[in-house]
Amino acid sequence: MPIFDKSSESSVTRAILSQFAKDMEEFAETDVIIIGGGPSGLMAAHDLAKKKVKVLIVERNNYLGGGFWIGGFLMNTLTIRAPAQKVLDELDIAYKQYEKGLYITPGPLACSKLIAAACEAGASILNMAMFDDLVLREKNRVAGAVINWTPVSLLPRQISCVDPVALESKLVIDATGHDASVVRKLEERGLIKTPGFGAMWVEKSEDAVVEHSGFAHPGLIVIGMAVSTTFGLPRMGPTFGSMLLSGRRGAEVAYDYLKKKAR
Amino acid sequence: MTTSRRKPAETRLRVVNLYSPEDARGVRIAPVKTFLKSLLPAISVRVRPSITRGMLGERLERLATAFAAARVKDPSKHVQTFEPMYGEVDYEMRAISGRAVVGGVVYDGRKVESVCLDLLRDENSLKECSVVFTHRLLSTFSEDDLRHHLRTIVCGFPSLISIPGIVEAPAKPREYYIMKQQLESAAAGELERARLKSMFKERFIDYDDPSAIEVLKGLALQAVVFHLTLRPFCDDPKCRLYNAHWQEELIRTQINSGKLCAVHASIVKRLGADPRLAW
Repeated sequence: MPIFDKSSESSVTRAILSQFAKDMEEFAETDVIIIGGGPSGLMAAHDLAKKKVKVLIVERNNYLGGGFWIGGFLMNTLTIRAPAQKVLDELDIAYKQYEKGLYITPGPLACSKLIAAACEAGASILNMAMFDDLVLREKNRVAGAVINWTPVSLLPRQISCVDPVALESKLVIDATGHDASVVRKLEERGLIKTPGFGAMWVEKSEDAVVEHSGFAHPGLIVIGMAVSTTFGLPRMGPTFGSMLLSGRRGAEVAYDYLKKKAR
Repeated sequence: MTTSRRKPAETRLRVVNLYSPEDARGVRIAPVKTFLKSLLPAISVRVRPSITRGMLGERLERLATAFAAARVKDPSKHVQTFEPMYGEVDYEMRAISGRAVVGGVVYDGRKVESVCLDLLRDENSLKECSVVFTHRLLSTFSEDDLRHHLRTIVCGFPSLISIPGIVEAPAKPREYYIMKQQLESAAAGELERARLKSMFKERFIDYDDPSAIEVLKGLALQAVVFHLTLRPFCDDPKCRLYNAHWQEELIRTQINSGKLCAVHASIVKRLGADPRLAW
């Protein structure tokens, strides 16, 4: 007796196509598009989706999680400083106290649970898709993202010949890490001038990343390491607590904005 | 036609206003007041709320824009006049109104002094010495080596005292930086960095160190002496008016010694009884 039920190749194809087409139709207009599915992007997506905000993560890789799988020196123990361990509690991620105020958790466990939490909260994911450009509206307000398939984006234009598609949203969140790809696109258009990384090394740069998480331009919020690039804050090492809290702060800013707009 | 101008020398300092930092964050200014009062009995010392408190509407936006424009973006250049980014102004507005914590950004001390002077305007008579405590990191540009340097104090009108500057401005022991660099090149994580800090525990002041209050007292005294004489610093490394460039010097002068040199003890005693501006 066969283990699996019978199905045809054409049914499998139709199942993939029909669901994906339905999803894409949904994605064409959302509340928030998050570019980048690392820890800050996932955290923001989780918090927004939990509040019933329609949110889409655009991730250029096949996998989500960014650098959250691995800690410093390619070792997969993540260190989380208080108070960010409260996020781990909330997401039911097991951890141990290493010393007062410092906690450790296995990267694969924390990352997979964060991804699951974002998906279960209702965030939509479009992976293997790359941010290409911005949709701009009146007074250059950011109102969406132009995207293309990652393999297509990586090919020279004369070979790929595939035009991108535009997705509209009330807000876009740049969670692309040090690249700050969305902010860079604004810079290319002369709409913003970022200072790059601050050359003065100071302690507490983690706090500054969280505190600066917010609007960088009308319609555009920055979170995670993109905050460092955008505001010229000191470069940090792998400090995951600040990524989680930055994502959370970005979600709060986005939610407040959407709430005010809805009034 | 003759004009009569009052010489600063005829002006007496009546009041020292100590403006509290943006948020309490473990820092109490009251002991600084007591310290100054003990040295300068003829001067009234008041602790006042933060200089940026109560800003709303257009005033808030103007102030936020001014702070954003005072950011040091390139330590090797003077701060140029530039239009700040939307996000920088947005952050400063949140920071001023208490919705974001101030910190992690370096501001040009002279530009911040000018921002504060605008805020004080009516209260900045020479009879009043204003000292602004802040959680902002401050720097000034040095023409000697053509770069910005973080400061604990920026003497001026008003004088500014940077609370995180106590940790960040004076250099830590050389060996600390060498070992830190080695750790960074080995991509070490937080655990190793924390361990390194504990190795040098007694040799620099870290955040939330209760002894920082002693340093704040000494810096406030430097600010008042600057107001009275325009010469806030002493060359004697054991004097509380010594301008420490190393953490170990700072600890020695402000915490271990905690005294003025004989010359400055006598100057401060005289000024404390008769606080006449001696420019």
